[in-house]
Amino acid sequence: MNALPQRRIAIAGAGLLGRLVAWQLLRDGHAVTLYDAGDLDAPAAAAWTAAGMVAPLAETVVSEPCIFGMGRVALQRWPAWLAELEASELWHPHGSLIVAHPQDENELTQFRRDLADAVGDEASAQALDSAAIRSLEPDLADFRRGLFLADEAHLDNRELLVRLLAAIRRLGGECHAHTPVEPHPGEIATPAGRRTFDLVLDCRGHGAKPRHPTLRGVRGETLHVQTHEVHLSRPVRLMHPRYQLYVVPKPEGRFVIGATSIESEDRSPMSLQSSLELGSALYTLSPAFAEARILEQGVNLRPAFRDNLPHVICGDGLISANGLFRHGYLLAPAVADHLLAAVRGHGEQPFADVLAGTAPRMALS
Amino acid sequence: MRHDTLHDDTHHDDTHHDDTSHDDALVLYDEPFTSRFLLGTALYSSPAVMQASVEAAGCDMITLGLRRQNPAGGDGDAFWQILRESGCRLLPNTAGCRSAREAITLAEMSRELFDTPWIKLEVIGDDYNLQPDPFGLLEAARELIAQGFKVLPYCTDDLVLCQRLHEAGCQALMPWGAPIGTGRGLMNRYALRTLRERIAAPLIIDAGLGAPSQAAEAMEMGFDGVLLNTAVAKARRPARMAAAFARAIEAGRAAYLAGPMEQRQTASPSTPTLGQPFWHAHS
Repeated sequence: MNALPQRRIAIAGAGLLGRLVAWQLLRDGHAVTLYDAGDLDAPAAAAWTAAGMVAPLAETVVSEPCIFGMGRVALQRWPAWLAELEASELWHPHGSLIVAHPQDENELTQFRRDLADAVGDEASAQALDSAAIRSLEPDLADFRRGLFLADEAHLDNRELLVRLLAAIRRLGGECHAHTPVEPHPGEIATPAGRRTFDLVLDCRGHGAKPRHPTLRGVRGETLHVQTHEVHLSRPVRLMHPRYQLYVVPKPEGRFVIGATSIESEDRSPMSLQSSLELGSALYTLSPAFAEARILEQGVNLRPAFRDNLPHVICGDGLISANGLFRHGYLLAPAVADHLLAAVRGHGEQPFADVLAGTAPRMALS
Repeated sequence: MRHDTLHDDTHHDDTHHDDTSHDDALVLYDEPFTSRFLLGTALYSSPAVMQASVEAAGCDMITLGLRRQNPAGGDGDAFWQILRESGCRLLPNTAGCRSAREAITLAEMSRELFDTPWIKLEVIGDDYNLQPDPFGLLEAARELIAQGFKVLPYCTDDLVLCQRLHEAGCQALMPWGAPIGTGRGLMNRYALRTLRERIAAPLIIDAGLGAPSQAAEAMEMGFDGVLLNTAVAKARRPARMAAAFARAIEAGRAAYLAGPMEQRQTASPSTPTLGQPFWHAHS
């Protein structure tokens, strides 16, 4: 808590970032009003559909080196924040495993090369043989080669969103579900009328598109299954020449398998092709998944700018932070830190140039 | 050198091309194209990276896949808009179609969506290596040609298949160098050379290239252009790789036009060797 005067702050978007920032600002002593166009208990947010991996190494390989630095912030912040939420059991710092079929083992070689190129620390990826894979994940099918990324983690993301909302309510946050809003400097336009605030934060996902013409949705599909025949301790990625799929263990024998990535703003139900791809990846990882029950076929739109990196725009009375794309749980802590420093008027902003979109991009060089 | 509209090929800007490109356009279905490099728009880490790569490639034509974007609903429009901004001619493809019927339906839809008769025709016969199905391909090509499409079929290097596609009315063919995404280069030079000698239509090497040297080799062999995607998109610095391919394709084309010398069995010094005066042969 600090000695700053209490301000009336509105937040548009009760996804991961909106909840995280609302919780922190309430703890700072501000009066926070949170708006969401959808439900708060079964959110339409991409963060609800997501698998909740915190995988800075694996994600850097398919994105930009700046992801790695922001991801390291996540690895520090999440355990601390979860402890403050009395929810430490949601954090699983057990690393992640990457495997490939024998005919696709070149994908592992390329992954290591790209990782070394991007991060410059190849030692953080440990090569595994069949026995080492088996000792880490005994229920996995036999794979000859794999990689272990010891520094990665995953979290129980749905439970986290529930706990954050509970904390926000407990701290007196005002929450409005099913309320689409238009954020303006110092003002929120709701269907019921306009309300003025000292500060407005736009933390929406794809819903921010009207304010950001270059924001687009990228369709992602996930499969949620349940079985007690397979136990996994950590996320497992299956490398394939054309797609990378992963399975992330969740409480009570649940698993999330994701995710397709289709350049389309189509929210219609999962296609049969995607269902087959996700299902076969899962079956490949362990045939015991064959009798798992399909609980849910998730479809959502990842909010993305053209560089697929988040952008923060600070204006007088209005700050927007959008476009976390497929990296919500990985990047939200660093983006939240940046936002909180902007609101508080003090604190480090080590990713200011990245979030302003002015940092050099390796892939563009 | 970019096409803003479908028939805007009257004012080429060749300032950064060598002077061969003025009278050395790639002609497909009677339309000239300045660049012989066609680039795919899938697999990039972001649209920004894709845009930078297209720019660096200097291409006139870019391909786009529609199959999984729910094209009937127009849901891919945010992405298509980014492609339109490139100023390049959009070449929709039927990637992911496994039968002639699927490919024909998707081609018809893409003609509506993008107001273009151009189609890169793909009918996939094998799910793992994405090898073309020659039978479905020929069937779909015949139907689409009859409907007035300008069909660019992605085919294998089989001579008879290519002849049949040509006879069916395809005015350009796109044989593979190797299966899609493998980066293995020109797997069957004998078959490709045979195609070049026997087929009197533009031939564009589509798929399987991984390195610029392979693209240069294809161009030196007399192929008319190169289409690729993975080799650029999966490079660590895609825009830089796109520029490297662009130069290799230009160099290979220039070499082809220059007429490479024939290889010889034995070393043949270009100046007389002092130790072996030529008159000794006659003494």
